[in-house]
Amino acid sequence: MSTDLTTRWLGLELECPLVVGAGPLSKDPKLLGEAVSAGAGAVVMYSLFEEQITAEQMAAHRFIDARVDTSAEAHSFMPDSDVFSMDAGPYLRQLERIRERVKVPVVASLNGTTPGGWTNYAKQLEGAGASALELNLYEVVTSPDESGEAVEKRQLEVVSAVVKSIDIPVAVKISPFYASVPAFVRRLELAGARGVTLFNRFYQPDIDLENLDVDRTLHLSTPTELPLRLHALALLSPNTGLSLACTGGVHTGLGAAKAILSGAHAVQLTSALLAKGPRHIGVVREELLHWLEEKGYESSAEARGILDFSSAPDSHAWERVNYARMLDGWTLD
Amino acid sequence: MSNEARFVTLDANQAVADVAYRLSEVIAIYPITPASAMGEHADAWSADGRSNLWGTVPKVAEMQSEGGAAGAVHGALQVGALTTTFTASQGLLLMLPDLFKIAGELTPFCLHVAARTIATHALSIFGDHSDVMAARSTGMALLASGSAQEAQDFAAIGHAATLDARIPVLHFFDGFRTSHEITKVVPIDDATLLGLIPADGVRAHRARALDPDRPVVRGTSQNPDAYFQSREAVEPFYARFPAVLAATMARFKELTGRAYRLFDYVGHPEAEHVIIMMGSGAECAHETVDHLVGQGEKVGVLKVRLFRPFASEAFLEALPKTAKAVAVLDRTKEPGSSGEPLFQEVTAALVSSLQSGQRAALPRLISGRYGLSSKEFNPAMVKAVFDELQRAAPKARFTVGIRDDVSQSSLSFDSSFDIEPEDVSRAIFFGLGADGTVSANKASIKIIGEETPLYAQGHFEYDSKKSGSTTISYLRFGPRPIRSTYRIGRAQLIAVHDPEFLERRDVLAAAMPGSTLLLNSVRPPDAVWDSFPREVQEQLVRQRCRLMVIDAYAVAERAGLGRRINTVMQAAFFALSKVLPMDEAMQHLKRSVEDTWGRRGPEVVRRNLLALDSALDGLHEVPVPKEVRSERPRPPILAPGAPDFVQRVTRLLLEGRGDELPVSAFPPDGTWPTGTSRFEKRAIAIDIPVWQSDICVQCNFCTMICPHTAIQSKVYAPSELENAPSGFRSMPETFEAKLEGMRFSVQVAPEDCTGCGLCVEVCPAKDKKNPKRKALVNEALVNHREVEREAFAFFEGIESARLSELPIDKRSAALRLPLFEFSGACAGCGETPYIRLLTQLYGDRLIIANATGCSSIYGGNLPTTPYTTNREGRGPAWANSLFEDNAEFGFGMRLAVDVKAARARSLLTSLAAQLPTALVDGLLATGHGEAWIEAQRERVSQLDRLLSGMNVPEALALREMASMLVPRSVWIVGGDGWAYDIGYGGLDHVLASHEKVNVLVLDTEVYSNTGGQASKATPLGASAKFAIAGKATRKKDLGLLAMSYGHVYVAQIAMQARSAHTVEAFLEAERHPGPSLLIAHSPCIAHGYDLVKSPAQQKRAIGSGMWPLYRYDPRRVERGEPPLTLDSSTPRTDVAAYMEHEARFRMVELRSPERYAELLEASREAVRQRQALYEQLSRVQLPSEKNHG
Repeated sequence: MSTDLTTRWLGLELECPLVVGAGPLSKDPKLLGEAVSAGAGAVVMYSLFEEQITAEQMAAHRFIDARVDTSAEAHSFMPDSDVFSMDAGPYLRQLERIRERVKVPVVASLNGTTPGGWTNYAKQLEGAGASALELNLYEVVTSPDESGEAVEKRQLEVVSAVVKSIDIPVAVKISPFYASVPAFVRRLELAGARGVTLFNRFYQPDIDLENLDVDRTLHLSTPTELPLRLHALALLSPNTGLSLACTGGVHTGLGAAKAILSGAHAVQLTSALLAKGPRHIGVVREELLHWLEEKGYESSAEARGILDFSSAPDSHAWERVNYARMLDGWTLD
Repeated sequence: MSNEARFVTLDANQAVADVAYRLSEVIAIYPITPASAMGEHADAWSADGRSNLWGTVPKVAEMQSEGGAAGAVHGALQVGALTTTFTASQGLLLMLPDLFKIAGELTPFCLHVAARTIATHALSIFGDHSDVMAARSTGMALLASGSAQEAQDFAAIGHAATLDARIPVLHFFDGFRTSHEITKVVPIDDATLLGLIPADGVRAHRARALDPDRPVVRGTSQNPDAYFQSREAVEPFYARFPAVLAATMARFKELTGRAYRLFDYVGHPEAEHVIIMMGSGAECAHETVDHLVGQGEKVGVLKVRLFRPFASEAFLEALPKTAKAVAVLDRTKEPGSSGEPLFQEVTAALVSSLQSGQRAALPRLISGRYGLSSKEFNPAMVKAVFDELQRAAPKARFTVGIRDDVSQSSLSFDSSFDIEPEDVSRAIFFGLGADGTVSANKASIKIIGEETPLYAQGHFEYDSKKSGSTTISYLRFGPRPIRSTYRIGRAQLIAVHDPEFLERRDVLAAAMPGSTLLLNSVRPPDAVWDSFPREVQEQLVRQRCRLMVIDAYAVAERAGLGRRINTVMQAAFFALSKVLPMDEAMQHLKRSVEDTWGRRGPEVVRRNLLALDSALDGLHEVPVPKEVRSERPRPPILAPGAPDFVQRVTRLLLEGRGDELPVSAFPPDGTWPTGTSRFEKRAIAIDIPVWQSDICVQCNFCTMICPHTAIQSKVYAPSELENAPSGFRSMPETFEAKLEGMRFSVQVAPEDCTGCGLCVEVCPAKDKKNPKRKALVNEALVNHREVEREAFAFFEGIESARLSELPIDKRSAALRLPLFEFSGACAGCGETPYIRLLTQLYGDRLIIANATGCSSIYGGNLPTTPYTTNREGRGPAWANSLFEDNAEFGFGMRLAVDVKAARARSLLTSLAAQLPTALVDGLLATGHGEAWIEAQRERVSQLDRLLSGMNVPEALALREMASMLVPRSVWIVGGDGWAYDIGYGGLDHVLASHEKVNVLVLDTEVYSNTGGQASKATPLGASAKFAIAGKATRKKDLGLLAMSYGHVYVAQIAMQARSAHTVEAFLEAERHPGPSLLIAHSPCIAHGYDLVKSPAQQKRAIGSGMWPLYRYDPRRVERGEPPLTLDSSTPRTDVAAYMEHEARFRMVELRSPERYAELLEASREAVRQRQALYEQLSRVQLPSEKNHG
């Protein structure tokens, strides 16, 4: 009998813990379909960014509408039609198309900017048939006047409001930059979230030395980013009832196995599929299966969390003391 | 009767299109002002799947010209489809051959014309009947309507009557005055239309279709034995037409309650003085007649509905028998005729009635012209005509509305004659093009028209500038239908949406006692009064006006709407006009915002609602003092130094007082001086670039990219800096070794800059300590205007270092004197830099043939024009003929230049014995380059001096044309609509010649001037009008077609991203001995993105392969090299990365992601295939006589 990969994530039964993470792959239902055929247990769509929708609406207002009725010869300079929408319509239609194409749960991803925007779009996404909603709490706090506490409070209010406004399960994708990730996750749980996704990858601008400017190139994740996730998963796993998903740095089946051993219910892949194609998820799945079988696990659930903070043979390895030891280890003889 | 009680508010274009669309199966279209909107509506409805009356979606097809549209119409009619089209002016002229055919074949067809002036000494987009009258011999019935309601109704009547009568109908209404004026209209529902359209006629039309099951032949060639008789065989159909039309009108009345007749008389039943006219002017006459009859005068107006076939019997019946004197008014001019067309028809009818004994005597008959090119025609002018009729010896032929001090034709009129009743509310709005004033006023009219019992009218005027344009909106609303088809002379409310208008024109000319001035101003209310020029204060005090002030910019800015103040000013208008209780008005305004902007999305709605909610908080009344305090007069509108003609004529045009100019002020042949844009200091930029000389690297990117020549650079001797004003900056020239010791300056023309920001965007120099600071920094105009104005004046006076010895490259080209400056093109225009460069390279010997389009509007639209001269008075000589004939026009110029040059050489040769041999040899030699041109000019001067002492006819003749010994550079310039579509046949023919003409195609990939309709240059996947769902076919490869001749120099260029390549292509093209074609990538507002980003987007166009750069030089064949050089590298950027930055592609994706995906893939394939083809071609060596030895 082959190893059982089924998992329960956000209350959803998945055939496989490997999930297509939020990213551009879901813009092409055909490619997404290939990932699912190759074994993905669920898909998370690219994020619906309220800010982007707003920006596009205002750009249209500025660059199309502001040029209406400005010339005797031309009422306008672009076609006008009521048929297309600059709101969430295209995203919702894409969600529906993906649902028609794949038979696994489809999780929508949302990044809002206004309290009303979060709940409004959440309702629309639920209405379009999303199996669950992943709230992408991506924000770059630049103001020195807003404390970390205030930021967290605001984010929790958003989560609470969204959870109250819809019936589908809500996962929250967070960044690693909280003074206490476990405490924040606890409060997310109290706010009604059903899962947490670790971690969001921040857009990390670089410096362009030639042009004295900021280089905005976005880079794909690498496996070196995985340990940060494993650490957080391991710490959270014994202390939360939330579904845990790992995202960022899983490129191989062995990487996925590490995430599961650290406590992940689901393992999201994005960069690996962009780099190697949607069918690569099948390779990862085979490698994961092979490892589980080789180690004699009957199911991935059996392996889940066995190296987390409470179960690891040396749980202190996950603590700060480990850091101190490592520093000592660098002492030159 | 199915007359509904509801109204809609719309203009005639929409009302007519709505009817024509529902009654048609095939619609062939082509854009032309002011008829474009009809085609656009039809196309949009078809794209949205709207059905016609018979349940099918009409097939709407854009053609390559109106001639093409008429051909397609003719074909569709022959195969039995109900077919229509829309056009105006030159478009109608291009349709004429087919209209003769369609009429000759007795084909039911209704054509709708927004009547517009025919181009004569000048083009004019405005309204008169000269186009329609040029079609009067086609055999089409000519049906005239005078309002949006009539236009809608006559559209229906025209479609119905033609089916019954088989005579095709040309239905026309006045361009702009009717086509664009928004009024309340009772719509016609489908059931009414069905009741009106004769089912038998439809069946019969279809039965006459060409059909191989029952074949016939049409369009035979006939000989003298047959043609005449068969031509006369149509006569019974024409004889019957008036009766058919009258019956249709009667049926229409039964169905709708609205009654029309072939001639509608209004006025005293026993009128003694009658005006006969047609179109919108008859509405004004109607209103005036009502007023005069009310005062006991026996006057009337006879509105002609059916002009052709002229129904004499009906006319005689409609004209009161009591009429003693009749004035026939024509809105056209037929020079040399005994009278204009309507007058001739009326005269013939009356004379016939006298001959037949129907009438015992003729009334006195006079005729006049009025309203050419939408010239104002108001009650004072109508009154002047009646006054003239009462004179003992009236002018038999007159004009009215102008002052003709040349032929003394004009009637004088009393401009204070005003009949507008007090219960009609009248408001005038002065707005900036981009602030949304006109759109907001249209929305206000809709609210008033549809939410109150009041009748409403909105009429809009725009100036000809594409950046910083001025709009004037005229709004009327009142308890009765509004027939006032003229400007508002006295307004209760005058809204000035930007305080700069107070400085530029007399915005209070229409103020009346107690008028309210609503002013948008950033100044605090208590500082507003003292900021006014004296004239403004005087008018406000004299008229005891109320002054209301609002800082709409602040409200809009706070709401996140930038400087789009329309909703704020709309709220203020409703608050002041009191047309509705404010609570109710606010509800309607909010609903209007939701209806209008809901399709853009909730954020747009939210911000506009926010602006509405906070609008009235900022509205303040400023008490108007009893006395004038300001000592400051309104500043002169012209810059100092304007020549006499500009002072006398241009100034009044700029001040909005052109109507005051008499005939004698104008050149009779359309010839105007160049170089006038420099006297119009518009100061429209909010921010201008200010040069930071300490970090400039002297790359000249800024001056090369500036669309308005508003930033210039110069190298000059240090001695020039004597007397430099303190604000003038300079630095040592460090770029070019040959210019060592010279100084270098970059200078902005602050009052000519549009603030587009392109120069700052491309500036590569950064302050090492503060990278935010570039060598150009955006600063507020108000803080730098004076200093930079003085600096620019000084800059202009500096003599440039001698550049003729320098090789011309992208940098030295930018240092050369531009002879195209400060045009009214859009901020960020991608076309104008190419033209400026052209003038920098060849301006002193340049002749330009310019196709109609954007480049002819910013290049040659009055009041001021941008082509200018150098210190010697030389500069581009420019002319526009038409849209369709530009290649041939320029070709003819080349022939003439060559003939004259050949004549000069021949005369020189014949006089050679009497002249120094070296001089003659030098003059007859050929050469190129700046230094040679300079030397040749010097030789010509020397020749002229020698010739002046020779008293032989050859010497006199040679003096007249010796200047032709200096080569002329002939350039044919136009957009893609011309080159790819309407003028392609001519362009192809000209390129096929060996004549040395250079063609510059400013390719915006869309008809820009008429509002973004697809051309064959539109790329696959782009949404454009007439291709809303995304163009499904590839962009025509104009360059490849030209290359196929083998002898044509062809280059595809992109100046913003690759200026060095562009300069090289210009130089090679001009040096090429035969025809050349430059296809220039031109970013345009019709692409739907912020044009300040256009350099980056042009790089993406090149990098993705959407715009490959190349040069095809036939001369390389002789050197044994492949003629084609591919100058852009293999595409590395995905096409999607280019497309996603422009709304024209994004709209397709939003509308249908599936279609977008298909079109994107097709675009990728097109790029791959073209790249493969070009790469192969660039490796192909062609055999030639020379390289084969």
